Amino acid sequence: MSSKKVIELFYDVVSPYSWLGFEVMCRYSRVWDVELKPRPAFLGGVMQGSGNTPPGLVPNKFMYMVKDLNRLAQYFDVPLQAPSDPFEAMFKKGSLSAMRFVAAVQDKRGDKQVEQVSRELWRRIWSEDKDITEPASLSEAAMTAGLSASEIEELLTLSTSKQIKDKLKSTTQEALDHGAFGFPLFVCHINGKAEMFFGSDRYELMAHCIGEKWVGPQPGKSAAKL
Amino acid sequence: MSSKKVIELFYDVVSPYSWLGFEVMCRYSRVWDVELKLRPAFLGGVMQGSGNKPPGLVPNKFMYMVKDLNRLAQYFDVPLQAPSDPFEAMFKKGSLSAMRFVAAVQDKRGDKQVEQVSRELWRRIWSEDKDITEPASLSEAAMTAGLSASEIDELLTLSTSKQIKDKLKSTTQEALDHGAFGFPLFVCHINGKAEMFFGSDRYELMAHCIGEKWVGPQPGKSAAKL
Repeated sequence: MSSKKVIELFYDVVSPYSWLGFEVMCRYSRVWDVELKPRPAFLGGVMQGSGNTPPGLVPNKFMYMVKDLNRLAQYFDVPLQAPSDPFEAMFKKGSLSAMRFVAAVQDKRGDKQVEQVSRELWRRIWSEDKDITEPASLSEAAMTAGLSASEIEELLTLSTSKQIKDKLKSTTQEALDHGAFGFPLFVCHINGKAEMFFGSDRYELMAHCIGEKWVGPQPGKSAAKL
Repeated sequence: MSSKKVIELFYDVVSPYSWLGFEVMCRYSRVWDVELKLRPAFLGGVMQGSGNKPPGLVPNKFMYMVKDLNRLAQYFDVPLQAPSDPFEAMFKKGSLSAMRFVAAVQDKRGDKQVEQVSRELWRRIWSEDKDITEPASLSEAAMTAGLSASEIDELLTLSTSKQIKDKLKSTTQEALDHGAFGFPLFVCHINGKAEMFFGSDRYELMAHCIGEKWVGPQPGKSAAKL
């Protein structure tokens, strides 16, 4: 049995805080003694399954999130910028076909490609104010991520299969079984135990719990030790 | 006009995350070039005024908060321990008379005493599973904080006056005017601008925004510089 520390990251590209957590965890997976496992899932399903409601539906929370995300984007150097109509992007259009596509990419092409495709989808909705619901949109994102036109066609077909629909459903249920009520959800496995951290603001505590060091937004560039 | 950086902390002793934020900010107010201004307010009023609901009402959130608070208590070295019936303590009994009492202490005795009394009230509800609604409970907390019996009598009377009821209402409204939807709420004033931070998990970002350094839970004891 491997003694390697594993961090699962349950995420949905509709979630801006998930993008922040994703980028930070990608950076740290290269300096920490951990294996990062991306777990594409469906945030809408987590909200429904946990009886939670999206924070942006409370006016003061929405206004705070806009400011909070701007500051965090700057601090963590992630090119996050709210779409012109966040409500339409997040609640009306949603992310079901996008996340089925991501699940298909992971199924057929593995974690490296899933990282790149997820990033391009986040970039579309949370940086460039572009659609992520239409096949043409998913296609563009995948092409920017380096997939070929024929690969993409295959993946688009696979993404609407029962197999992938079920895969996304079961990953989403796994998140709920861990106690999820939102994303990002980090599940750290060390010495046979699973520690769950919600949100993109528990890095310092997570590091402490898994025996690693948090040194800020850019671990590679930091010469000083904490 | 003073160029000193001011951090206002809006809080309610019913809120465990506020206790964490309070203790951390008290430590940092001694090493950062800031003035910490305590703003006792009423969380129930903020919830109502913002149309928000206490997080603990979502079952998965409640379960997560229990674990999260335990880990944070350990990491930040604050003796936080959930009461035997958190729902009763937080939602049925509440904190209105407690926060009116704290407002009275601040009005008559200033910030040093308000820090001590607030701490003792937090200790009662969030460490020792004791009541904070009865005059005898408030009295015990104040006595542990060093106030005399006659001072306490005066404060108990003052706490039910229109003056103090209005004071608590207006501080609570101030928090809402800053966009509050929960506590703790930090409002940092630097160079004439007000930056608002919600929660007890934005210290690193807050430090960056106000030109100070975050060095972890115990600033005094850290020899290393970030």
